Amino acid sequence: MINTILLFPIIACLLMFIIRNKTFDCFMVNAYAIVHSVITTLLALNIGRETSQPYFAVDNTNLIFLIVLSLVFLMVAFYNNGYVKTFEYPDRRIRNYSMMILIFVLAMTGTILSTDLGIAWVLVEATTLSSAYLIYFNKTKHAIEAAWKYVFICSIGIALAFVGIILLNISTGSVNTLNFAHLYRCASSFDHNWLTLAFVFMLFGFGAKMGLAPIHFWLPDAHSEAPSPISALLSATLLNSAFLVIVRVFKIMTLADCTGYARFMLFIMGFISLFVTAVFVYHIRNYKRMLAYSSIENMGILAIGTALGGFAYYAVILHLIGHSLAKASFFLTSGNVLELYGTKRIKSVSGLMKADGKTAWLWILSFLAICAFPTSVLFISEFIMIKTMILQGHYLLCVLFVLLLTIVLYGIGKVVLKMAFGDLSSDKEKLVNENKSKVSRIMYIPQFIMLIIVFTLGVYIPPFLNNIIKCAIAGF
Amino acid sequence: MVNGFIILFGLTMLYLAATSRIIAHIRLLIVQGVLLFLICCCGAEHMNLLNFAFLTVETLIFKSIVIPAFLYKVLKKTHSNRDVAANIPHFYCLFIASIILLVGFLISNYYVSSMKLISPIFFGVSVATIVISLWLITIKHKIISNVIEFITMENGIFLLSLSVAKEMPMLVNMGVLLDVFIAVYILGLFVNAINKEFKDLEVSNLSDLKDYEYND
Repeated sequence: MINTILLFPIIACLLMFIIRNKTFDCFMVNAYAIVHSVITTLLALNIGRETSQPYFAVDNTNLIFLIVLSLVFLMVAFYNNGYVKTFEYPDRRIRNYSMMILIFVLAMTGTILSTDLGIAWVLVEATTLSSAYLIYFNKTKHAIEAAWKYVFICSIGIALAFVGIILLNISTGSVNTLNFAHLYRCASSFDHNWLTLAFVFMLFGFGAKMGLAPIHFWLPDAHSEAPSPISALLSATLLNSAFLVIVRVFKIMTLADCTGYARFMLFIMGFISLFVTAVFVYHIRNYKRMLAYSSIENMGILAIGTALGGFAYYAVILHLIGHSLAKASFFLTSGNVLELYGTKRIKSVSGLMKADGKTAWLWILSFLAICAFPTSVLFISEFIMIKTMILQGHYLLCVLFVLLLTIVLYGIGKVVLKMAFGDLSSDKEKLVNENKSKVSRIMYIPQFIMLIIVFTLGVYIPPFLNNIIKCAIAGF
Repeated sequence: MVNGFIILFGLTMLYLAATSRIIAHIRLLIVQGVLLFLICCCGAEHMNLLNFAFLTVETLIFKSIVIPAFLYKVLKKTHSNRDVAANIPHFYCLFIASIILLVGFLISNYYVSSMKLISPIFFGVSVATIVISLWLITIKHKIISNVIEFITMENGIFLLSLSVAKEMPMLVNMGVLLDVFIAVYILGLFVNAINKEFKDLEVSNLSDLKDYEYND
């Protein structure tokens, strides 16, 4: 099963390279999305988990990450069928786009499934290479700038993470392995000073990829310049993959009894992320950048939840699911808005409700989902985190947390409502009517499905999903 | 012998900090590649033949020939011989880089001496190289300079990984992958894309995307 999920995109890329047909390219992206989701479902049902090769496996921790990746990819692939029709590029470029999507998802799947820190590091590197092309896809000056910043900052991050891995190896003494299970077993014998130093480097390295402030600078540029389906994949799946590696390293810290320092670092980076978002989101001019800042905020919330520990781990997993689905929906809807108005400038978009009611409702519902409006699952996760802060006696942090979230909510809400309602000038109306044919019916359905899941999970979590989440908590 | 090569490697970073001619920086990358090869040779008795061959190809061909050759090609195309607009004069650059190297030596002697796995000189020089490179990235104005400093940082990390090569050869191979990664992005993005779009390779060209302004 695991071999199939990892080999399928490689074979698909070879076939695409040989056959060279636009319809076939789109078909292969859909085929991989379906194969990915079918295999993930089987793995979730505990079918075919056994594997002969030592470097990739499904365990309790990574299963939920794989499910989220699979679901988001399926929805993005579905949306992509409509989105690709809006491209006015040669077939070769669209083939490269489709191939890079497959390689990007393969790299993320590999990162999630890897049982070895070294392999995870290599695959995180591979995600940078494949997604850099996708960010640069439009080949504008700004796309080059975004791709350059992305590659440069992430590669410095990856290099620092590598230093962290070397330091971890020094801390292990005679235990020469990077296998997670082996590292967990021997963690109690590790040298604390070296391990702490290793954690700092790895947190900064993988944190750069996860979009944690203060090493988040690539994220707003990359998310705003990439095509919308890619922005959705970057925000909803790539950041999670990097977070999983941090969770694995955090577990080593916990088992080595260095958890106090790790929690402190995560708290600091989490709150800086919230603070940075609260400062920047208020005056932002580009709505895709605004969504990117919201991703930084949510990654900060995940870091804070991990630092809190205890029952907050459950909230972290819920938040991860909710954020991925709601943000993917938000980014895909922003793609519709971009097609309709032809600009990412907030000032130039208003009267979305009059222009296209369905896109406007998806835009508002995605906002309600991401701002934790009941019954969004994010409401439950943020509520649990606030409760945990109060129970642990972090009253000041709790106030700061709520205050920063409120500022972010106000900043995003103001923009979303202004764009959804407001007047639609006659020029804009003419432009929107011309562009309406670009937004096909297929570009509404995935967001709708994801939003239903987000709002349903807030009132009912199916027992099987609850079990998977509870098992994942053991990985922290 | 190996300590001599490592100290020479550390001194190349001082030269990097003190010069502004980009061609000199590229030549320095060749020197660093050769020094890393010599350091690999000194530890050859602990490696198997395949691993040693792999490292030779990596240090001699990749680090000393392929990457500098591509950078030289870019330099010829863009005629950007000097990074003259650096924020800090060369004398101060040299002074600060020397201080970082000294602190690297002192800290490693103080903390690392208790560790069996890693020698203080390896640790001190590689950490100082990483810090000097990161610092130089922040003060240089040309994109090509930033790439060169990134490669020197990667060389520093490679040196650090060589110090644990005996115990974990896999780590060194991962360091090699980092090099391949750099080559791909230099080739793909830097040489082709940025070069086509922008006439001069100034970092300031790549600062159009802002939060408070809309430039699209």
